[in-house]
Amino acid sequence: MHEVVTVIQQESDGTARRAVFSPVDNRARVDAVVRRLGDAIELGLLADGEQLPGESELAARLGVSTVTLREALMALRQQGLVTTRRGRGGGSFVSLPEVPADDRLRARLRGWSTEELRDLGDHWAALSGAAARLAAQRTEPEDLRQLRRTTEELTQARDAAARSRLYGRFHVELAAAAQSARLTREQVALQSEIGALLCLVLADGAYREEVADRHRSVISAVQDGAHETAGTLAERCVRESTARLVAVRLAL
Amino acid sequence: MGVRPGLATLGAEPETWVATQVGGALEAVFETVAATRADTEALLHRVAAQGRRPASADLAALRPGLHLHLTREKLVSGVGFVAAPGLLTDVPAWLEWWQSGAHGDVRPLLLDLDPGRSAYSDYTHWDWFALPRDTGRRAVAGPYVDYLCSDEYSLTLSEPVRLQGGFAGVAAADVYLRHFETAVLPLLRRLSRPAHLVNARGRVAASADPAHLAGSLTKGPDFGALLSAARPGVYGGMRLVPCRGVPLVLVLA
Repeated sequence: MHEVVTVIQQESDGTARRAVFSPVDNRARVDAVVRRLGDAIELGLLADGEQLPGESELAARLGVSTVTLREALMALRQQGLVTTRRGRGGGSFVSLPEVPADDRLRARLRGWSTEELRDLGDHWAALSGAAARLAAQRTEPEDLRQLRRTTEELTQARDAAARSRLYGRFHVELAAAAQSARLTREQVALQSEIGALLCLVLADGAYREEVADRHRSVISAVQDGAHETAGTLAERCVRESTARLVAVRLAL
Repeated sequence: MGVRPGLATLGAEPETWVATQVGGALEAVFETVAATRADTEALLHRVAAQGRRPASADLAALRPGLHLHLTREKLVSGVGFVAAPGLLTDVPAWLEWWQSGAHGDVRPLLLDLDPGRSAYSDYTHWDWFALPRDTGRRAVAGPYVDYLCSDEYSLTLSEPVRLQGGFAGVAAADVYLRHFETAVLPLLRRLSRPAHLVNARGRVAASADPAHLAGSLTKGPDFGALLSAARPGVYGGMRLVPCRGVPLVLVLA
């Protein structure tokens, strides 16, 4: 009897373990690499004409197989964001195609389902809402200088890419004001995903102003120590941006 | 029954002793900062003596010293020189900054400081840079979340580097808060009352008191004034003892 139980136990363990170590969905990995590199190119983190590291090095750094990387590079070539030259001095190079940035961003947004965008927005609201609530309890006036500076710079920023970088920085600084290294790290990671897409909604000057106003009211609530208000305002700010992104996605 | 040696007894009060020990722990880190400052100033003077302005490549000469500090000083997890914008001829801004890796290795921090690409290219507003620049004195920044360099909750100790009387940047060292806690918690726990340490703004840097956790604010006392006066004080039921030489106050509930 005892033996039987053990065998069953081992079998179920085996199944579970096989699932744990089964390959992660390859398509998802290709998409993740395409998004990561595509966003970096859109945000200007990788410059036009810049040579990417060799395939094996890049695959190792991204933690994917060379097969996955090749598929991702192929997709990026199709989007016109990468060119590959063979032979001596060859390799993969960043290339910004002639089509306007807006059209390229729309093409990138098409890679997101509305469900994924909604989920991304939920995650963002959870992070920024929690950060605002904690910041309201832990921040003293001196700490608010950086948030104010970022908000003022946002009202001055001319191009959409700069605006989206500052929008992201505000939320990273909010997490830092919460004194939480974990929330800050999560926010940095989230901004690297959503940053490029936000260019699509921040190009609109009126909406940029609205975001700046929302940021100012978050700062006021944090300063007043009104933690519930601060949290709700931060969530609203983030949800509105996500809703606008979803609207753009549905219009594609 | 003889007269008690009053002053000697005061000096031997456990909280005074603990405050002194805490100051001593950070004093060791400040020695690293001072050595980095001296190395950097010597280097900048050598370059100036050659009749030229420094470039980022010149700062590579600091590396052996920085690596040594990282391996020798247990509390230090990052150390280096942060140039004032405009100091170097080839780049607008630069951090010659080295960090300890998870496996005892030493690696350089490589930041994208291009304002056209990074929202974090301007580092001149951070306390660890601005305080030494504006006061001319050494400073302890934090605790704060360092999302520029380490992503860690940290203290950064820094002091100004000067070249021909002018401000050239800061020498600095990072102490992760979890390491600082490991170093000072045994001291705090020796005290009979729940104790914690706060910075000049009342932010808790380490605590043996569950009612005051690291990162929270202890409100009420003017800790800045207490540090300037450099004398113990009392606020409500709390006893406040400044740590010698560093801007931290020991608070006993």
